[in-house]
Amino acid sequence: MGKYNLTALRVRQTAVAQKAAGKLPQTPKWLDIMHDVPPTEVLVRNRPQQHQLVRQRLKTVPGASRPQAVFEVQEKRIKPKKASRMFQPVEIKYEEDQLRKEFFRDHPWELARPRVLVEKSGKDFERYNWSRLQQRGKHLDGESVVQRQLWLLNNVPDMTKSAAYDIARREFYRLRLQEDIERRVAAEEAEATGAVFGPTRLEIGMDLENKEYERWKEWAKLQAQLSDQRMAAFLGAPEVQAAEEPETSLDDDSPEKVAAAA
Amino acid sequence: MIVRQLVRQSRQLRALPRQSRILSRFSSTETTGQTPVQTIVAEQAPQLETPAPAVAVPEPGTSGAQENLDPNTLRRIKFHSLGSDVTGVYRPESLLKNPPKATDVTLEMLLANQTHLGHSTSRWNPQNSRYIFGIREGTHIISLDITAAYLRRAAKIVEEVAYRGGLVLFAGTRKGQKRAVVRAAELAQGYHIFERWIPGSLTNGQQILGHCEKKIVNGLDDTIEDLWKEELESFRALKPDLVVCLNPVENVVLLHECGLNNVPTIGIIDTDADPTRVTYPIPANDDSLRSVTLIAGVLGRAGEAGQQRRLAQARKGEWTYKPMQPLRQQVEETTLETAEGQTPEASQDVVSEEVPSEGSPLDKPKEGASRDEE
Repeated sequence: MGKYNLTALRVRQTAVAQKAAGKLPQTPKWLDIMHDVPPTEVLVRNRPQQHQLVRQRLKTVPGASRPQAVFEVQEKRIKPKKASRMFQPVEIKYEEDQLRKEFFRDHPWELARPRVLVEKSGKDFERYNWSRLQQRGKHLDGESVVQRQLWLLNNVPDMTKSAAYDIARREFYRLRLQEDIERRVAAEEAEATGAVFGPTRLEIGMDLENKEYERWKEWAKLQAQLSDQRMAAFLGAPEVQAAEEPETSLDDDSPEKVAAAA
Repeated sequence: MIVRQLVRQSRQLRALPRQSRILSRFSSTETTGQTPVQTIVAEQAPQLETPAPAVAVPEPGTSGAQENLDPNTLRRIKFHSLGSDVTGVYRPESLLKNPPKATDVTLEMLLANQTHLGHSTSRWNPQNSRYIFGIREGTHIISLDITAAYLRRAAKIVEEVAYRGGLVLFAGTRKGQKRAVVRAAELAQGYHIFERWIPGSLTNGQQILGHCEKKIVNGLDDTIEDLWKEELESFRALKPDLVVCLNPVENVVLLHECGLNNVPTIGIIDTDADPTRVTYPIPANDDSLRSVTLIAGVLGRAGEAGQQRRLAQARKGEWTYKPMQPLRQQVEETTLETAEGQTPEASQDVVSEEVPSEGSPLDKPKEGASRDEE
C-alpha cells in the first residue's frame, strides 16, 4: 500500500482471513490475545501538548491578612506562525532556565567542577527541601543556587528576582568559603597528627621535566663533541683553527665595521 | 541586551492576576504564606534507594549452626560483616539481575533510566509526533506516560503469548545489548539474537535453519527423547509467535520478514524510527543501554510471569494450548493419544507435544545455551 506499510499492524486481520481461506492449519496462539489487547492507532496526528511558562509568586494584597499565591502565565500565541507548524512539538520551558543561564553566565567556572549526573531512582527531588541551600546527598553546586532562588521566588512574599539571586548567592559563597576552611583545617590536623603529604602533582611534573632536561643535556654535549670531531677532520686541529681565527675574523669584520662606522 | 530581554518578557508576560491552569509540576512546592527566608525545615531522613545490598551478609552471631561451618566460610562471614554498609549507591547490574515487573514501572524510574531522551529534532520521524512531549535543548523528549502505557501493553502481550506456550524471540543486535537480550530471553524462556539477523531466516527458514536441533517437550517442559525421532529430523523449521526487537532501525529486514510471515512484533521506537514497522511500538530511547536494559527486563519479567502461570496450569492438568498433531500415525500411538485426550494427567510423557525448545532452529547453534533449564 502506497506510502505506508501497515502489514505489521494488520497481523490479526491477515491471520483471520488466512484461517477463513483455509491457508492456516490452526489459528495462531496470539489471535485471541490480539483481540483483547489490540495495537494502538498510529499515524494519527494530535495537537501536541502546549507548554506554558507558569510563574508562581506570593504577593501581599492590601485588604487580605495573608499573602496570596499568584500564578502568572506567559502567553503563547494561539496560532503558530505557519499552519504546518501546528502539529510540531513545542519547546519545553521552565522558569529555572533563565535563572540558570544568569547564574552560569556570572560564574562560568562553576561549570568546570565535576558533577554526578547518574540518577538512581529519579526521586531525588522528593528528598530536597529548598528552604535551605544545602541538601543531604547532593553536592553544593550551581544548580543548588538556582533551585534555592526559585524556591525563594515562589515562597517568599514580594520577592524579586535580583533579591532572591542575592540571597541565594550569599548563602552559596558562605558555604563555599566554609568548605575551603574545612579542607584546610583537615589538612592541618592531619599534618599535626603525623601525616605527610607527598609531592604534589605539580612537583612530580617538575621533577620529570628536570630529569628530561638533564638527559637532553648529556645527549647534546655528546652530539656537540661528535660534530666538533667531524669538523676537525675537514678543518684540521682545533688549536690551529683557533690560532687562525682572529686574523680571519678581523678580515671578515673589517668591511662591516666600516659600514657601521659610516 | 538585558534591557531588551526585560522588555520582551514584560510584553509577553501579561501580569493578569487570574487563576490559570495549575500544572502538576507545582504540586511539590508549598504555597504557604508564612515561610520566611531563614526557616530551616527539619530534614527528612533520606530513604535508601537500594534497600537490599547485593550480597546478603549474614550476621556474625553465636548460633550453633555456624560452628559447623568450615573456617574459611567463617572467616569470610566475619570479614564481610566488618566495615560500613554502603547504601543508596547506583548499581548498574541490579537492572540486569533483578528487572522490575511491568506493574512496578513508574515514571520516575523511566526518567532515571533515560527512556525519555529522543533524537535531535532534525532527525525526527513525524509519524512519532504523538509520542513526543516537547523539545528541550534541540532534542525531542518522549512522553513518559505514553512510554509507560505502551510498555505495559507490550508486557501484557509477552505474558499472554508465553502463557499460551508461544515462542518469543528477543532480538537486539546493537553493540552492548547482548546481556540485556540474553537476560530477557532467559527470564521469558524464549530465544535471543544478539548478532546479525541472517536475512531469510523466516522466509527461507528451511534452508537456513533446517539443520538445527529440535526437540519435543511435554506440558511440563520436560524433554521427550525417544518420540518421533526420524520425523522430527524432517520437521519444518519453526517460526516465532512473537518477536521483540530492541533496535528496529537496524533490523528492518527482520521486521519485514515478520510482516511477510504474519508474526506480531514489539519494538522500541525512538523518535527517528518508523512506528508502522512494528505491531506494538514502545516509544522510548533505544540508544541508551540503560533504557534498553530496563525495557528488555520488563518484557522478560512479563514472559517469566506467563511461563509460571502456564506451568501452574499444566501441573493441574490443564493445557493452555492445543497439543500438536502426532507426527507418525500408528495404531498404538493413536489409541494412546485418544486416551489422553480425555485424561491428560494419566501419563505425562506423551501428553502434550510442543516442538519448540532449547535447540530450536530460530536459535543459532552458538547461542544455544541461551535457555537455562532450571
